[in-house]
Amino acid sequence: MAEENNTPTPPQGFIRRFLALPTDSVPKTIFVAVSVCLVASIVVSAAAVALRPMQAVNALKDKQINILQVAGIYDPSQDVVEAFGAFEAQVLELESGAFTDAFDPASFDDRAAADDPATSVALSDDPAGIGRQARFVTVYLLRDEAGAIDKVILPLHGYGLWSTLYGFIALEENGNDIFGLQFYEHAETPGLGAEVDNPRWKALWKGKKLADDSGALQISVSKTAPAAGAEYHIDALAGATLTTGGVHNLVNFWMGESGYKPFLENLKAGNL
Amino acid sequence: MGLRNFFDRIEPHFEKGGKYEKYFPIYEMVESFLYTPKTVTTVAPHARSYVDMKRIMTYVVIATIPCILMGLYNTGYQTNLAIAEFGASGWRAAIIDMLGIGFNAANPLANMAHGLLYFLPIYIVTLVAGGIFEVIFATVRKHEVNEGFLVSSMLYALIVPATTPLWQVALGIIFGVVIGKEVFGGTGKNFLNPALTGRAFLYFAYPAQLSGDSVWVPVDGFTGATALAVSASQGFQALAANGMSWWDSFYGFIPGSFGETSTLACLIGLVFLLATKIANYRMVVGCLAGMIGFSLLLNWIGSDSNPMFAMPWYWHLVLGGYAFGLVFMVTEPVSGAHTNVGRYIYGALIGFMVVMIRVINPAFPEGMMLAILFGNVFAPLIDYFVVQANIKRRAKRHG
Amino acid sequence: MAHKRRDMLIDPLVDNNPITLQVLGICSALAVTSSLQVAFVMAIAVTLVTAFSSMFISMIRNQIPGSIRIIVQMVIIASLVILVDQMLKAFAFEISKTLSVFVGLIITNCIVMGRAEAFAMKNPPIDSFIDGIGNGLGYGLILMLVGVIRELFGSGSLFGITILETVNNGGWYVPNGLLLLPPSAFFIIGLIIWAFRTWKSEQVEAREYKIQSVEAH
Repeated sequence: MAEENNTPTPPQGFIRRFLALPTDSVPKTIFVAVSVCLVASIVVSAAAVALRPMQAVNALKDKQINILQVAGIYDPSQDVVEAFGAFEAQVLELESGAFTDAFDPASFDDRAAADDPATSVALSDDPAGIGRQARFVTVYLLRDEAGAIDKVILPLHGYGLWSTLYGFIALEENGNDIFGLQFYEHAETPGLGAEVDNPRWKALWKGKKLADDSGALQISVSKTAPAAGAEYHIDALAGATLTTGGVHNLVNFWMGESGYKPFLENLKAGNL
Repeated sequence: MGLRNFFDRIEPHFEKGGKYEKYFPIYEMVESFLYTPKTVTTVAPHARSYVDMKRIMTYVVIATIPCILMGLYNTGYQTNLAIAEFGASGWRAAIIDMLGIGFNAANPLANMAHGLLYFLPIYIVTLVAGGIFEVIFATVRKHEVNEGFLVSSMLYALIVPATTPLWQVALGIIFGVVIGKEVFGGTGKNFLNPALTGRAFLYFAYPAQLSGDSVWVPVDGFTGATALAVSASQGFQALAANGMSWWDSFYGFIPGSFGETSTLACLIGLVFLLATKIANYRMVVGCLAGMIGFSLLLNWIGSDSNPMFAMPWYWHLVLGGYAFGLVFMVTEPVSGAHTNVGRYIYGALIGFMVVMIRVINPAFPEGMMLAILFGNVFAPLIDYFVVQANIKRRAKRHG
Repeated sequence: MAHKRRDMLIDPLVDNNPITLQVLGICSALAVTSSLQVAFVMAIAVTLVTAFSSMFISMIRNQIPGSIRIIVQMVIIASLVILVDQMLKAFAFEISKTLSVFVGLIITNCIVMGRAEAFAMKNPPIDSFIDGIGNGLGYGLILMLVGVIRELFGSGSLFGITILETVNNGGWYVPNGLLLLPPSAFFIIGLIIWAFRTWKSEQVEAREYKIQSVEAH
């Protein structure tokens, strides 16, 4: 080794003295540990801080793209933020079905709200399998040129076979005709339940109706068409009975009394 | 004895140094299929008896005969019943028409003929596709084509639904033969049941064709859930409303794969296998005990949301693949446990797992296939611990 | 020297492949190979992490005390992995979403640790860097092979471009659902190992015990 030929003069300087210590001595061990950690933590935090704005933009963009897609106006060549400017975000109080100013839609976090006892309720009747339901949700409105509501985009989620499916449903201004349904987060079986992402299946939703003329909820997702008629029925996913059942339950739950029903009535009555 | 002479004459060509040395396995296959082999092997599955492999395998095939007959009858019966409602179509109907047999579900002959038209193509494809791979491996590895394949192919053909597309049948048996058996060194060294390996492959690869509501009765437009799927969604009490009584299930007049619907036929096979000592009764006892014990426990626990909890053990026995698996798969000597104590544990583990999967796992209403494969995987471990315990006990005894 | 370095780069592709010969890094190979694009990004990420972590560890190898060497290696590897993760989130968000937790799990990828411990601790930085690249490429090669099989037969496409039109989209191809599930990668990697060892029989390991021989018939 080189050290054996070193001249006996002690090395100069603080760092050099440490470097010259035998590798397995206690001070050297501590020195190496501390300096490696220091360098690593500086690098990591620098990267995290420098890249955070871009990451935040990405995460937001991802959600916005989903909303754009479900509203059927997503164009990959277009700037997402600009396209999303067409939407108006509002925080909705589910029980009254009216918008509230208590929260800022830009910073309102739906998932955090569902966990917070102050803004959520524990469900006793819970067909969608979500446990706690937030009393407030962020919804998105698309207005036409005259300023009247053209479409509403409502978030919904519920349990499928293996996972909670998170998605949006887009409704026409009458609050009854479905424009589209899209899930942006789930972990269902690839090839079976995960076919909820299949564009052909999603296309089935367009033009279906939620409730019949008397206002009773008729929408169903199942293998066999119900008596109510084809306009309230979406064919099941082949081979995915439980995911299909989950989608059926969550749509019925969110469109029902404890979901968006009050809001949809207000929408129909033009009270917004 | 002209044929025997012929074999004797050509045999030297296939032996070491002969012209067709490479093709000895093929020669051996044909020869030993027709005649008693001249030699007796000494490894598993018959290391512990003097019965040779061929006899074991032949007996197992004989034991499946009741299942085959019931399967043919029931497949035809279910099909004819559905045809009465939905009408007949396809080449099978054309053949039946041509022969003038008709689609009368009350006529046993018509049912058998119709069932045969579904079973034969599947069985032939299984034999050919699996056989080709058996021969390839035998030729390359220079071992004999094994009679075990006759059993695997028969069992495999009996546990697929009648509607399975034939190319999927072929793919499944090839997977079963290659991955389930040959990669581990061939018959006697496989730790998984090849027929089940192939079936499991199909189940996960093509679930749309192998599960669901429309695959059990081969008539277009017909949908009907299996008894287990009905029980899982509405409780076993709903079975009667769907026209399936316990006795129907016991005799095998419910929709399902060919061989597995009839518990009665399986039990006849079981008696035969136990009488000839091919099947080890310990595995059967263990498997029954595990199933009955765990389902009683679940009955006692109960559940508001899951109707399967309330399913009594005698329904578990007659539904799905339990009886067939118990008789022909659990007792399979190679992939099961090899120690006597281990066999009880092995059986019980499968019995426990089948109820567990059926009742508690939401994705798989039928659990026998997965439970047996699970048991297969654990069999060597069970043996290891049984042997270790034995060593410890003896070491203690002898200081 | 140049010749030796070329060997360092090429050896891990087939002759000393980290997956097929050393059977390391299997976990992530199962998880990320159902689509080629993801497998490709994962391969690049692992290659970069292995190369740079080997290089940095090699630079300070004479200063690392033996008692804490594993932890020091881990700190360096983990920092690099976090860097990669942050970069992906910032510049390739879609892919980072599909890779999700598996980027983080590069830390536990045995290949990275294995090269650091087996090579970088004993060799100069540039050699270590090349060795890291080579091993990363070896890992990537298998990942891509598995990915091609899984994506082509499981979804009927390659890099997301439809090759076989699937039944669900109105075509003729019935996709093999098993290939979309992680266990299928076990079978495929097993078959690749089988193929490699048939091709290069010197890779076959010696038996650890003798299997009782069967009497000839």
